[in-house]
Amino acid sequence: MQEQKGSTFPSISTLSIVQMNDVSASYDSKDYVLKNIQMSISRGANYAIVGQSGSGKSTLLRLINGMMSPTKGKIMVDYKTPNTSDKKFKSMMHKIGYIPQNLGLIKNSTVLENVLIGALPRVSGFNSFFKKFSNSEIDNAKKILKQVGLQGKAERKVYMLSGGEKRRVAIARALVQKPEIILADEIVSELDHVTAREIMEVLAEAQATMKLTAIMVHHDLQLALEYADRVAVIKEGEKVLEIGVEGDRIVDFQSGNYTQREILEMFTNESKE
Amino acid sequence: MNQKNNLIIGLIIAGVVVMSVNVDADPRDFAEGLPNIGIMLKEITEVDSSLFVTAFWSMLETIQMAFIGTVVGVAISLPLSLLAARNLNNKFVYVPIRALLAAIRTFPSILWAILFVIIVGLGPFAGVLAIIMYTVGFIAKLQYEAIEATDADPMDAVGAIGVSKIQLIRFVVLPESASHLLSQILYIFDYNIRQTSILGLVGAGGIGFYIINYIKFFEYGKAAVFMLVVLATVLIIEWVSVRVRDKYIVKSQRGMQIKS
Ligand SMILES: Nc1ncnc2c1ncn2[C@@H]1O[C@H](COP(=O)(O)OP(=O)(O)O)[C@@H](O)[C@H]1O
Ligand SMILES: [Mg+2]
Repeated sequence: MQEQKGSTFPSISTLSIVQMNDVSASYDSKDYVLKNIQMSISRGANYAIVGQSGSGKSTLLRLINGMMSPTKGKIMVDYKTPNTSDKKFKSMMHKIGYIPQNLGLIKNSTVLENVLIGALPRVSGFNSFFKKFSNSEIDNAKKILKQVGLQGKAERKVYMLSGGEKRRVAIARALVQKPEIILADEIVSELDHVTAREIMEVLAEAQATMKLTAIMVHHDLQLALEYADRVAVIKEGEKVLEIGVEGDRIVDFQSGNYTQREILEMFTNESKE
Repeated sequence: MNQKNNLIIGLIIAGVVVMSVNVDADPRDFAEGLPNIGIMLKEITEVDSSLFVTAFWSMLETIQMAFIGTVVGVAISLPLSLLAARNLNNKFVYVPIRALLAAIRTFPSILWAILFVIIVGLGPFAGVLAIIMYTVGFIAKLQYEAIEATDADPMDAVGAIGVSKIQLIRFVVLPESASHLLSQILYIFDYNIRQTSILGLVGAGGIGFYIINYIKFFEYGKAAVFMLVVLATVLIIEWVSVRVRDKYIVKSQRGMQIKS
């Protein structure tokens, strides 16, 4: 177990919803794309993962939602081992709102149809075959559409939407799941600054009101520090730093090989590319 | 162009010549037969217009046969193609289904028609059954290929929610591949009308019955009436399917601009 230097945060395991012990992962048994990851994410946290392209961030999210299994080490998500093909993990899958980097929306379906997909675990096979949802599910979906700023767009086809609107649809679909965890992969990376902040506000508000654990991958360290209470920095598959903002100080929660200044410089240089 | 390409093209041409000798395909026979075309064309122009009413009703029968065959065939092939798709099933499901479909596909519609004439007797019902079998074998393959081409991103994103397979099919696979499936259904309907037109050759109903009989008795003028009706029908169907395609397929795929 890692030593926690930031005293204000509760200690790990008792409250952590995601727990990774010495996790390594690889595709096609080649080199590890993630190496010996120690990670503990407390329930209700707003956790960010930052790193350069190819550092393994998306892989990390896929390990948490069980689309991939670690080659080595152990992951627990709400005390269960994530594995999408394991029936025992199914109820947890319903509670994880996963927003992949490319959003995974159904282009030719309407906004409302896309968002109602989040309610499918609560709908019988027969009713869902006829796309029949109860009035309360439809009302709830419309309420969430309003919450993410898509009121009046319910019947719009997704391919007609702007980049920012598509991201709101993906957020709404995840929220309709009534999730405990939201995993968002670079959801604002391709957006302009203003839209990116609007989307982050939507997520921050949902997280606060719905008591979610948010785990978000970002490309931009500044943005991550602005919205998250903890930021893990991944470099070439290793977690090199875990930091958080307390007041006006950046606190290091893991003794890394890099100083904070070095990390900050590394990222400010990179984001200027 | 390099040496190797020249060699391959040379071999292909040599192959065509050798095989033509093998199957008795002699261009000189064609040249000698040319005058026959002249006779036929002359007789075809002597159209017997009193037969247009009969031709119309037999064409209507043909269209109905093709319609039933297409609708029932697609209704059978869609569930089969969902079972044959490798992105939805494990190999213990898709391998046997694919083998079954491949077996069905080995028969052309005319052979199915002969088989069903033997089973259910002469008449349009045998033709309808033949069209159903042909449609299943042919369209199921196109459909499972379209289903396998469904974008993996929405499949993964929705799959990660833990929805059932039926829900995944209904909310991701079908909407994502709908325009391809519709396009294929229009194509097979068009094709089925044309092939139903010849099933009469073996007594399986439709307009082909008249065409083959008049040709048998060298009444080209009468046969021509029926062939003209087939031609007109195919043109109308083509026109309608272009319209349907533009309205439901091109629109849903966005981006393509139609030049007019
Ligand atoms: N499906 C895959 N098959 C093989 N290698 C992959 C696959 N997905 C990602 N990788 C490799 O794993 C590494 C980490 O990828 P990823 O987790 O997507 O990084 P990031 O999200 O940080 O850009 C990269 O080197 C990438 O090439
Ligand atoms: Mg990524």
